[in-house]
Amino acid sequence: MSVALNKRPFDLGKAAYLGLNLLLLAFLLVPIAIILVFALNPTPYISFPPVGITLHWFDKFFETGDFMRSLWLSLWIAACVLVLSVVIGGACALALARGHLPGQAFLTAFFMSPLMLPAILTGLALFQSYLLAGIGRPVWGLIMAHTLIAVPYVLRTTLAVLHNFDRRIEEAASVLGASPARVFFEVTLPLIQPGVFAGGVFAFIVSFDQFPVSLFLVVPKGETLPVVLFNYMKFDLDGAIAAASMVSILLALAVVLTLEKLIGLKAYVKL
Amino acid sequence: MISRHRVSRRTMLRAGAGLAAAASFAAPAILHAETKTLKITTWGGKWGDIMKATVLPGFEKEHGCTVSADQAFPYVPKLQVSPRNDPLYDVLHTNSNEQWLAVVDGLVMDKITAKEVPNVADVYPYAVSDKIVGVSIFTSAIGLGYRTDKGITPPKSWKDLADPKLAGARGGYLIPVNSLGQCHLMMLGKVYGKGLQDLDAAYKALEQLKPIKLVDFTGQMEKMLLSAEVVEGVIHDSGVYRYEGANRQPVDFCSPSEGVMALEQVLNVTPGSKVKELAFAYIDYMLRPDVQKLLAEGVWYSPANKKVKLEEKYDAKLLTTPQKVATLIQPDWKWYNARKDDIDARVTKILKG
Repeated sequence: MSVALNKRPFDLGKAAYLGLNLLLLAFLLVPIAIILVFALNPTPYISFPPVGITLHWFDKFFETGDFMRSLWLSLWIAACVLVLSVVIGGACALALARGHLPGQAFLTAFFMSPLMLPAILTGLALFQSYLLAGIGRPVWGLIMAHTLIAVPYVLRTTLAVLHNFDRRIEEAASVLGASPARVFFEVTLPLIQPGVFAGGVFAFIVSFDQFPVSLFLVVPKGETLPVVLFNYMKFDLDGAIAAASMVSILLALAVVLTLEKLIGLKAYVKL
Repeated sequence: MISRHRVSRRTMLRAGAGLAAAASFAAPAILHAETKTLKITTWGGKWGDIMKATVLPGFEKEHGCTVSADQAFPYVPKLQVSPRNDPLYDVLHTNSNEQWLAVVDGLVMDKITAKEVPNVADVYPYAVSDKIVGVSIFTSAIGLGYRTDKGITPPKSWKDLADPKLAGARGGYLIPVNSLGQCHLMMLGKVYGKGLQDLDAAYKALEQLKPIKLVDFTGQMEKMLLSAEVVEGVIHDSGVYRYEGANRQPVDFCSPSEGVMALEQVLNVTPGSKVKELAFAYIDYMLRPDVQKLLAEGVWYSPANKKVKLEEKYDAKLLTTPQKVATLIQPDWKWYNARKDDIDARVTKILKG
């Protein structure tokens, strides 16, 4: 009797649900697998099945000055964008959620608008604005452009946390004598931290992978990795491109895992 | 009182010497401030490697300037946006089709003559023909690349690409974004119709090429041929010849009997350039026989300068004689660009299925 009770009947719905998830997972991961095969294959073109395994393309990637310079520049810019977008996006979110501002819906839409415009137009518009202002195309201009695109991510994730925020905790801290600054740093910030930093991770990745906005704003010898890869692909479509892609993916993964370790992004899934 | 403040001869001499010394110390900074920068566009890949390693440093040394070489596309839209009196580039290097787009907007000069660039006097006529804006410094021949190990009959005509045996294994380009694809379309008009501008015949012939594998860039077509994903496809000669020698691959190039289309590398100067003399000097330098030879043998481009003497193996294959150059067909890009939107819509509809 107990054996019969423990035996679960076949659940078609659950099996279909699992199958769908597996399909989605495959859809997401198969392109990465193809890139990996291309990166490890000795032939200078995509061929399947692979004819061997080599790290030659990784060597080429790490030994090519243009790739290395652009990789470090992209990392540096993405790090700056992470900090700036977290500060700006976090502050905007607090103002929008707590400030009782007139036209709050309009302001939210305004701050989210960079996501609604095609990024290539944003890049072109900024390029023209910079030239008209006579500032050329400095690195800080590129950082500002990426920040513009990245802020909405931080804004959205932080607003999500703030909507579920129990303000009585802050009130309790104030009643117990904490100054507004202490309430912010010791109560508010730790509680909204997962949303802010989840947005920060998005900001980093969006900046690191940013192509359309960068296309118009990079200068000679100051190109970011996606722009260098695009130009390389026009003339030399070999495994170095795939190796660069793998390095990019691993770096982005490393950033996410590091932030997860330091900050504990798992909390964000509770939202 | 007055006499105490009078400047003596000795003091004057000391002050003069001090000023001279200060001037000599400051000289490098002043020279640096006066160093002109030439802003150019250029290609990447092997071409870019040779330019960065040898060609551009040589020019900088000869002219005491710095060259800022942009390899990030798209060049013409960037130039369109930049102020006319302070353009983003002094020298625009593109293929011919983009130069025609730029000249319509007044972004580049109509012609470059031997008056501004003395080496223009030595170029083949095609390099400064009425089909060219600026001056062509190199050209490639657009024809058919094919695999030699797949048992196909080597092509002789553009019509051979329509061989039913090549269904799904022939290669072409996304015509709206690639000038080789645009050249191929015009050639279809010539081969199957009344001429390069016979678009109806070209559309009909394009339909017959389906199924066809389409790529964005010539670099992709090279790899498709190398991987045998494409057995025969439209490509420029340098995209096949560069796999000669140590890189020997089972691919070859055919110059079809109806002629080859010209894929010109064109240089031009922007009218608003603040260093126009330096820009002309750069074009002259790029047309100099030693520079032409270096690049021609590095990337398998046919030099525009008639006086260039290439090594035997390059000379045998590239367009280095008046007879060979005569096989080049230059498209009328002004005509094509004027109806590009309609053509793009039509070919997209044809090739979508």
